[in-house]
Amino acid sequence: MGDYTIAELMAVCLAREIRDGERVLQGLYSPLPMIACLLAKNFHAPNMVYINTADTIDPQPREVPFSTAAPALQERAVAYIPLWQTFDLAQQGKLDLIFLGAAQVDRYGNTNLSVIGPYEKPKVRLPAGAASAHLCAIMDAVIWVPRHNARVLVEKVDFITGQGYLTGGNARKRAGIAKGGPRKVVTNLCVLDFEPETKAMKLVSTHPGVTLGEIKENTGFDLIIPEDIDETASPRAEELEFIGTIDPKKVRELEFH
Amino acid sequence: MEEKLLRLQEAVSRYIHDGDVVAVGGVGRNRSPMALVREIVRQGKKNLHIVGREKGMDFDMLIGAGCVSKVSFALVSLEEFGLAMNFRRKAQEGEIELNEHACNSVITSLRAAAMGLPFLPLRGMFGSDIFRVNKNLTEIQCPFTGERLAAVKAIKPDVTIIHAHQADKYGNVRLQGSPFEDVLKAWSADRTIVTVEEIIDNEEVRSQPHRTSISYICVTAVSHVPQGAWPASCDRYYDSDRDHVMEYARAIKSPEGFQAYLEKYVFSGRS
Repeated sequence: MGDYTIAELMAVCLAREIRDGERVLQGLYSPLPMIACLLAKNFHAPNMVYINTADTIDPQPREVPFSTAAPALQERAVAYIPLWQTFDLAQQGKLDLIFLGAAQVDRYGNTNLSVIGPYEKPKVRLPAGAASAHLCAIMDAVIWVPRHNARVLVEKVDFITGQGYLTGGNARKRAGIAKGGPRKVVTNLCVLDFEPETKAMKLVSTHPGVTLGEIKENTGFDLIIPEDIDETASPRAEELEFIGTIDPKKVRELEFH
Repeated sequence: MEEKLLRLQEAVSRYIHDGDVVAVGGVGRNRSPMALVREIVRQGKKNLHIVGREKGMDFDMLIGAGCVSKVSFALVSLEEFGLAMNFRRKAQEGEIELNEHACNSVITSLRAAAMGLPFLPLRGMFGSDIFRVNKNLTEIQCPFTGERLAAVKAIKPDVTIIHAHQADKYGNVRLQGSPFEDVLKAWSADRTIVTVEEIIDNEEVRSQPHRTSISYICVTAVSHVPQGAWPASCDRYYDSDRDHVMEYARAIKSPEGFQAYLEKYVFSGRS
């Protein structure tokens, strides 16, 4: 790997998933999505709309904060937007993408942030899934996983907090979900997407220096491995410079200690 | 207009009762009404049903101190400082009832109450196990289009607690930054208690009415508590106190640690 950290590579990978013109919501405790939104807007997606949990539109913080709802995300914003109005946009089909963290992610991109073990008598009660159960059923999502291992990437999540492709195929449609679904999963080892027919998770690219064996070993189910796998493109020098400028306190490394 | 300035202690003892549904302002560790939370703990309120979207130390402290019997929420976390351990322990031990939601379903519960309705429809939710386990969510059919929708039961707060920037003595409140759901929470509740950084003159309010976020008609009490969100942030006044939140996160690893924290900062310390 080159002269950058895995957090920086993941932030750049998340940014690449934002298409120009899209309206994107960044949630709470989302340091990498926050940096990804600012990166995308500064480089390839100047017309994306950046909405966040500080309830602002298109802020230009001099320095990104630790809490991703902190006052710094109000700096040079064009307006406030209470989150319930952002959800109104989502229900009208006018919000395009969210980023999701998770304690567990399964083969079909379902995410769990609720419980490990049975719901009524959990082994671990987790924080819960914030916006996911609502938004994952009406729009696209990108999932980020700072620790790719077999306890996180599991065959089946203990509890579906955020809807992925459920049991695969056209299960979303059968459940009454009209649109959306997870686009990608960006981990500290690789980038994954979903096979169009079965909706099962498929390898797209491996990060520089990561072997296929390492990925298989750290995944709790059989990934679809195509013949041609790319190496994830490294961040460009100007992207790294931009990250360094907006994040001098290294908020991006929070999930990697 | 009636004057509503009260000392914090009096506002809480007069307007928050055991068993109340309490909506709590702020998000994460931003403009959380922490002075009000500490006063509720000091007064040993019981069996509260607390309501909020993405909450942190405020919910965790109320739960750990034994003030809470039910939680309506979409997230309880200390963000980068880890799990809210009091919430986790009490939930795992079955000592609190959980009404787990998505952000928008808990917000829509409050919007229904604000609109004087028993429920509201919303999109999304299908396919999530939250929709399966939560008895306050169900499926309905639109009577006009036949479309399948989720419906969420209203949550009517008895009282809402908020920390804001400024208010006059009648309870005309100015929020000067991220609004969160604080206006909605005040609008949906029977009573609202607001702590503020500054008390301003009613003439100032009247000179710029467009700056009033919450009017006196839904505010019950105003208490002047500078730093009233500490250790959470209050935009334009102070950022969150990360060192203190870290100290809290360490303390709550054990019930004993949490008790020592309460002794130091709530029962005998800074309020």
